[in-house]
Amino acid sequence: MKAKFAKFKEWLLLPGGFGIFTGLLMLGTMILLGIIIPNFGPYKPDEFIGDPFLPPSWQHPFGLDQLGRDVMTRTFSSVGIDLGVAFLGVSIPLAIGTVIGILLGLAKNKYVLSLAGSLIDGINAFPLLIIAVAMLTFLGSGLRSVVVILAITNWARYARISRTRAVVVSKQNYIEAAKTLGFSRRRIVLKHIAPNVSSETVAYALSDFILVIVVVSGLSFLGLAAKPPMAEWGSMIADGRAYLAQSWWLVIFPGLALCWSAVSLSFVVEGISRRDRGI
Amino acid sequence: MLKNQIARTILGRLGRALSVGFWVMVISFAIMRIIPGDPASARLGGVEEEAIAELRKQLNLDGSIVQQFSRYVIDLLHGNLGTSLQTGRTVIDIIGSTLPLTIYLILFSTFFAVILSIPIGTSIAWSGKAPIVYTFRGITAVILATPNFFIAMVGILIFTVRVNWSPVFGYEPEFPQNLKYLWLPVVVNTLIMTSVVSRVIFSSVVETKEEEFVETGIIRGVGRRRFFWFYILKPSMAPTVVLLSYMMGTMLGATVILETIFTLPGIGREMVNAVLTSDYPVVQGILLIFGVITVFLSFIGDVIAYLLDRRVKI
Repeated sequence: MKAKFAKFKEWLLLPGGFGIFTGLLMLGTMILLGIIIPNFGPYKPDEFIGDPFLPPSWQHPFGLDQLGRDVMTRTFSSVGIDLGVAFLGVSIPLAIGTVIGILLGLAKNKYVLSLAGSLIDGINAFPLLIIAVAMLTFLGSGLRSVVVILAITNWARYARISRTRAVVVSKQNYIEAAKTLGFSRRRIVLKHIAPNVSSETVAYALSDFILVIVVVSGLSFLGLAAKPPMAEWGSMIADGRAYLAQSWWLVIFPGLALCWSAVSLSFVVEGISRRDRGI
Repeated sequence: MLKNQIARTILGRLGRALSVGFWVMVISFAIMRIIPGDPASARLGGVEEEAIAELRKQLNLDGSIVQQFSRYVIDLLHGNLGTSLQTGRTVIDIIGSTLPLTIYLILFSTFFAVILSIPIGTSIAWSGKAPIVYTFRGITAVILATPNFFIAMVGILIFTVRVNWSPVFGYEPEFPQNLKYLWLPVVVNTLIMTSVVSRVIFSSVVETKEEEFVETGIIRGVGRRRFFWFYILKPSMAPTVVLLSYMMGTMLGATVILETIFTLPGIGREMVNAVLTSDYPVVQGILLIFGVITVFLSFIGDVIAYLLDRRVKI
């Protein structure tokens, strides 16, 4: 036990260790509260339990909202929705983009390459929020549309990273060696190229996760993703906006939860990148 | 010879900007068509055939895809982006009346961010004290991870609700009056942008500090001002310019939310209104403009960075 603790301490003192540790601890706390409070807490997220606009008190630490619902229960029942949608919105494009990028990195056909390259640049030219808002017009708003849109648009950022990386990796000596040894093309791609490329795209996915959380809650804030009465941070903030002057707790608590999650991820990302660079 | 090289590099970059611009146009054209179902009947619901056919025609959805695309390109070349289904105004007119406000907002925020970031970034990097550096890193990380609408809400809570320094909503377009509506959104944008830019200047100055020519400069006793500009700041200018052009694009995307919060009549709020009322031509036109501006910004940013530092690959 003591040896394990010493090892952990050593790991913590390496560059970025403290950031990764704090970030994971913060994120873990958020997820844990997101599981415990909606499931084992005394209230339901859309249950009317008392006077509207009841200020924070010992019984209701985050107060009650305009319909007399418990803001704390609502804030923590959003954890699953926001982080869940963001997780889908990152992992699907990550998978699609990495595969397309590897294929492009190995492709030889000049026309296919320049066509795909400029399509990727074209998609990336639009700010993510803008293209998402525009597509929601035609797909119809809702959380499912948001996941679909992120899959359609966000893969291009991963494809660009994955393609650049695949070109670099495929020129490395060990790939040359594997070819000389007569390994099949399939084995080379799956065992040697893919792992090296995906380590890079997964690293990007972590920082993209922050961006996607902000986009999802931002779209909900505009009334285009999560719809009331669903408890979701962005739409809770939008709902509370009209009552900001009298009841600040409707906006501040969901906002702080959103901040907390994004900041915890950014500590992890920064910690990892500092560990990689060794400073 | 050298001039020739510079011109060729810039022309090559221009060629890439134009080809990406072409794809931006194709995507804005395609966005109404890749989604299953017919936007015209979706908008009108179950009304008679003729009305749907009429709207299809108005939205340029009749005929083959090649015909549609060629009509779209020809209309674009004539400066015709269609007309709003809601108000009957031309989309060009709507963009022309809403875009300037958004551009002022972004330009002012960028200007203030640069002015603030240079002293903050360099002085923190130069001091090199661990507690200061950690505090700086922590604060900027928190600001960057916070969504702009939450920062804006906190700003409203402090400056509108607690001390009545800024009106809750509304807008007056005349010059001195409009400042009282604009200053808070500019402050929010500046805060976010300063966090990014000062970080880049910080890390770039930290790198520069280690280089030999800086030590040589100190030993040679170069004048203070000259030392600051040429030895410390100049090497970090190229990455900063690239970052600024990228950030201005991101900020453009963020105006969709910021202008909705502050009820400013800019292009971002216009887009949200168009989305909520299914005003397809307006959405399509604004999307195109956003794409074109972003491509243009990244072209300009790359060219300036290249001119500042020829080693930059663009």
